Amino acid sequence: MELVIRHNGRDWVVEGDGLSLSAPTLEELDRKVGTTMREKGLIKEGEKTEVFMAFDNSTIPEWIRQYAQHYFNRILVVQG
Amino acid sequence: MTERKWYTGMTTQEDWWAVWLGVGFFFLSLFNIAGIDLVGWITYPTKWVFSVPEGGKGAVGHAFYALGKKYSVTAKGFYKGLGWWSVLWTYVVFTIATCIGAAFMKWDLKRFFVGWTLIYFMTIATWFIGHHAFIAANKTNMHKYGLSFALSLGGGGSFILALIIGLIIGNFFKGFANYLSVAAKPEWYIKTAIVTLGVKLGYLPIKLAGMSQKLGKKAAELTFEMFFAGAMATIVAYMVFWPGVYIISRLIFKLPRKTAAVLGSGISICGVSAAVATGGAVKAKPVVSIMVAALVVVWAVIEMIILPGFFTHVWPKTDDPLVAAAAMGLAVKTDGADAAAGAMMDEFMRTKIEVDTNGAVKWPEGIITAGAVMTKVWIDMFIGVWAFVLAMVWVYRIERRPGERVPASEVWHRFPKFVIGYFFCWFFLLALYFGPGKAGAPEAKAFLKSVKAGAVPVEKGMRKLFFMLTFMSLGIITDFKKLKEAQFGKMVWVYFVALFLFIIPMAIIIAYLFHHGMQIPNIAEYVKPGA
Amino acid sequence: MEEERKAAAGTGSLTGEALEAEDVLAGAEPWEPIETKLVLWSFVIAIIALVIGLFVVPTSVLH
Repeated sequence: MELVIRHNGRDWVVEGDGLSLSAPTLEELDRKVGTTMREKGLIKEGEKTEVFMAFDNSTIPEWIRQYAQHYFNRILVVQG
Repeated sequence: MTERKWYTGMTTQEDWWAVWLGVGFFFLSLFNIAGIDLVGWITYPTKWVFSVPEGGKGAVGHAFYALGKKYSVTAKGFYKGLGWWSVLWTYVVFTIATCIGAAFMKWDLKRFFVGWTLIYFMTIATWFIGHHAFIAANKTNMHKYGLSFALSLGGGGSFILALIIGLIIGNFFKGFANYLSVAAKPEWYIKTAIVTLGVKLGYLPIKLAGMSQKLGKKAAELTFEMFFAGAMATIVAYMVFWPGVYIISRLIFKLPRKTAAVLGSGISICGVSAAVATGGAVKAKPVVSIMVAALVVVWAVIEMIILPGFFTHVWPKTDDPLVAAAAMGLAVKTDGADAAAGAMMDEFMRTKIEVDTNGAVKWPEGIITAGAVMTKVWIDMFIGVWAFVLAMVWVYRIERRPGERVPASEVWHRFPKFVIGYFFCWFFLLALYFGPGKAGAPEAKAFLKSVKAGAVPVEKGMRKLFFMLTFMSLGIITDFKKLKEAQFGKMVWVYFVALFLFIIPMAIIIAYLFHHGMQIPNIAEYVKPGA
Repeated sequence: MEEERKAAAGTGSLTGEALEAEDVLAGAEPWEPIETKLVLWSFVIAIIALVIGLFVVPTSVLH
């Protein structure tokens, strides 16, 4: 599963595959992602899934992008 | 706009476009081996005066010339006729090339085109003024221009002027600066220039082999020594700088962990790119990196103004030029400011040694610049590795979020792609030098001359032009008022303390340990006196 | 102030309001043993690299 993550100034936001969740900290966001996936049946009980989160670079001001084009990608392992 | 695959960004990032521009023109230059000169039109300035003394030189009409006039093997006559028109040729070709890049990167093409055009012609005008013999000549050659006094700034005068004009625009004409900002891309221009600096490094042995075969070998050796010494100095410096600044920020200035980590990289390593890489690694809110980045660009320009003069005239002067060069690369943040500072120091030191020895010692142009860039290139590569280590420490040890993993592909995504172009051009030319060039043996002279005809316009004309564009754009995007903004608060002071009391002195010590005594070959006996 | 913040944000999707400095500078966590470890290990790597480097690099002061 692949999602796009960005920051809106207050919250981290992940979107994609019909999901759109936000939370002020990554811990909370990860919990929300897990819960939502289980609720929506995107993951079966006892199963393990990797959620790949790619950072949306357009969060970063354009003038900075010429110096560095990558912020981070992360993988979250969700347990069903 | 995300980075998922290894090839993401090949057509949409400045970093890759620096490679395409640099390597593209390098390949065009290689047509010279087949006898076709496609790059001789690249323009270059020379010293001039309003009224040329009898028997002297410096006519305004010849202030710009196509480099093919001097170096072309097959089209000398044609390029000789270009004169000032080479400025337009250069404009047209590079405008097409950069606009293609801008279009792929989905920038506002009309604004880029207008901005680029304005910046290009302002740069040319500055380059022209900076080459008035009063500014650029020195006591060994000023008499040829009918002068009894000259500022002895060499090409450094043009660099300073470009920076000053850029800074005036950036600080006093903010509306105009904002309009130009789409085309004022110091980092793109300098990365392109660094790729062509790779051409310079590979061309150095070829150039010096043209003087004597022994000198050519010496030059090849020197570039390798710089390569190894730079690598080790960088690793040591990095692993001392980062924890040092981290401790200063955390324990003396009481900053939060993530801010300290990002500042640690921003202040000590390669500025903006390191701040972004580390911010991403420790998963700081992007605002942390953005603020540090805004601070870095201003401080970098301040360093760039102070250090070249300091190293040239206070310490280590011309006794240890490559210690100064390596220290510059370790101390000055951002590729643009560092390369620009190195280029300025290159001009200052070469002029100084020539004047001090009355012309008995002359250094080839660009070695000091290359030294300043060498450590920076290593730093740029190393930040990706360090950011990966920090990411693991943060994710697995400090924040310990359950289920999170750091993908190994992060190292590649943070790798500075322009470095590929730099090494490619360097090693390609080295292969030509050691292969068909037979390490400068007399029977390969003709071959090496044809390589030279292509390499010089790229490593000299294109590189210097992109350096000038960098100086101008750096000035345009640098707004000193940002330092006064209260919101930076103590970050400004952390930066000041860490930079001047810790980073710069350590950079000098580490550069000294690895580079002390390295000598630049003297080419005085092979070049015309006062040239 | 607001204008300046917007200017710093430039053309990214982060808006001016996003650039609140306070929480970047305030809220320092207490120093933890892992930080001591991180810092010490960096210095140790530096010293090892320095010693190896001085021996290996032909232009170092040792040669």
